Amino acid sequence: MRLKLKTVFVLYFTVSLLGLIYALMQLGQRCDCTEHDAARDRTISRLRGELHSLREQMKKPEPTNPPKPALPPTIHVITPTYTRLVQKAELTRLSQTLLHVRQLHWILVEDSPHKTVLVSEFLVRSGLTYTHLHVPTPRESKLQEGDPSWLKPRGAEQRNEGLRWLRETAGGRQGAQLEEGVVYFADDDNTYSLQLFEEMRGTQMVSVWPVGLVGGMRYERPVVEQGRVVRFHTGWRPNRPFPLDMAGFAVSLRLVLANPDAHFDGDAPMGFLESSFLQGLVTMEELEPKADMCTKVLVWHTRTEKPKMKREDALQKQGLGSDPGVEV
Amino acid sequence: MPKRRDILAVVLIVLPWTLLITVWHQSAIAPLLAIRKACHHLVKEIFIIPERLAVRRHRPTDDTAEGHRDPGQGSDSKEYCSSDKDIVEVVRTEYVYTRPPPWSDVLPTIHVVTPTYSRPVQKAELTRLANTFLHVPNLHWILVEDSQRRTPLVSRLLHEMGLNYTHLNVETPRNYKLRGDTRDPRIPRGTMQRNLALRWLRETFSLNSTQPGIVYFADDDNTYSLELFEEMRSTRKVSVWPVAFVGGLRYESPKVNAAGKVYGWKTVFDPHRPFAIDMAGFAVNLRLILFKPQAYFKLRGVKGGYQESSLLRELVTLNDLEPKAANCTKILVWHTRAEKPILVNEGKKGFTDPNVEI
Repeated sequence: MRLKLKTVFVLYFTVSLLGLIYALMQLGQRCDCTEHDAARDRTISRLRGELHSLREQMKKPEPTNPPKPALPPTIHVITPTYTRLVQKAELTRLSQTLLHVRQLHWILVEDSPHKTVLVSEFLVRSGLTYTHLHVPTPRESKLQEGDPSWLKPRGAEQRNEGLRWLRETAGGRQGAQLEEGVVYFADDDNTYSLQLFEEMRGTQMVSVWPVGLVGGMRYERPVVEQGRVVRFHTGWRPNRPFPLDMAGFAVSLRLVLANPDAHFDGDAPMGFLESSFLQGLVTMEELEPKADMCTKVLVWHTRTEKPKMKREDALQKQGLGSDPGVEV
Repeated sequence: MPKRRDILAVVLIVLPWTLLITVWHQSAIAPLLAIRKACHHLVKEIFIIPERLAVRRHRPTDDTAEGHRDPGQGSDSKEYCSSDKDIVEVVRTEYVYTRPPPWSDVLPTIHVVTPTYSRPVQKAELTRLANTFLHVPNLHWILVEDSQRRTPLVSRLLHEMGLNYTHLNVETPRNYKLRGDTRDPRIPRGTMQRNLALRWLRETFSLNSTQPGIVYFADDDNTYSLELFEEMRSTRKVSVWPVAFVGGLRYESPKVNAAGKVYGWKTVFDPHRPFAIDMAGFAVNLRLILFKPQAYFKLRGVKGGYQESSLLRELVTLNDLEPKAANCTKILVWHTRAEKPILVNEGKKGFTDPNVEI
């Protein structure tokens, strides 16, 4: 019996010794895997961390340091429009851009003695929060057929009507929330990037930024030094008080309400329309530069060609024009 | 005492084994298992995060095209966890609404082919086009540049927009770009780019794949209503609809009879063309494109206005056309053109900083 046990023990010892050696070899090999696993580990922990922080973000309404109100300030976009062939197309694609912007209120002002069916129906279907206004431009101020577009300032009456409505509606209410708004004058043929609206949302008085394809140049912009606007980089009449395009600035609603007389002067000379409004409101030093200190172009002053209607006109003379019931 | 010796012996034998086993388990097996679990779990979590966060999987591809696809709801998490590279990129979208609608497994994909070329209004046009496309679910934008290389302007724009896109490029040879003389053998603008997109589609998708798709040729300066994309989604072969501001008319449209079949074209400019329709006025089912791999836009010897016919006549007959937009009575797309901006004040040397992108 004893002999058997001894041999058993000896066998057991050798087996365990071999096993230990094998394990030591395995341990040696594992060194490579730990690197790989560590990388994965790091990825996993990083992802976990991001997931956690994103979840935290989702719980809070606005995660940045200064406590913001529950709703961001509303951007009131005043757009003058007038009936012409490309009107519906222009309004369609503008609305497609505006639909992406939260807390946006579109004030569409028609140059017309009454609200047109096209615009009314369009606004209903657009899905936007809107106010539909109208005011006709007096005949003397209106551009005639064949006049170049720069002859008379356009849209002044309509923008003033928008301002009047805002003063009437917002001025009556006392809520501080309502005064936290921004007013932007957006023409219906320009192109706006979505980033622009977020840039202008924090406007305290008047904020400015570059505008592309305007003033006979690739872009016009305010020149910013040490966080302040010192002059304007433009090739056309830089000596204007505010050589900006309508699309290049936004005004805080508070400022609009505080200055009930500020309006656009329809009789102002060419290019001075913006200045006629801004002069009473703010000085150049008080302007707030946006778009990365006015180095990025976030809005373009695009214009749409007038579609050629030669054949249509010819057909209409013969009484064979296209069905006017089909809205274009 | 023999008992004590035995106990000592047993302890000495068992101890190293227990040590070994515990150490082995801790460092080797458990982590591997944990990693697999954690990976799967995290991937599932990240895809479920709704609303504000867009998750994108960047799959670096080897071919010339740069693809960018959304993962979709039914994707396999094992695929992601087995790769070595960092594959899941959680992108925080600051502007909450700038994301396309979630990808649906049910809706047919609309492959929008847009040729584009560098000019001052290019970025503006592409920006507002992208703002439109961001509303359309299951849209895949195939942007083909007329350039020797993919430009950084377009690459950056596509990357920032968040759309599902493919970025291609092919340069139209200089002698063949639009010139005044009609006798020159010229390639109409955008033809080579559209053909490249067709070729890419044929290389990427096969007839056997069950993913339904519609191909639409959208120029970058037109205006599209959102309703249009829903109308074309039900295309079985080729669907058609009216287009505004083409052919010198308020709109051009196919003529539809009482039976709902197209029998002619309501247009003044050469109404006897096989397909008197603008590029923006029709859409083709992807299966048809794949079924007829020889169908391309003709490059040379194409008269003005016959471009569309050169492709369509190889795909369908007049009888097969499906009229949309309420039997071709509603205008859902406008052939707008942007005015060329006047840049006189730039002068010879350029007044503005050329590094600022417009």
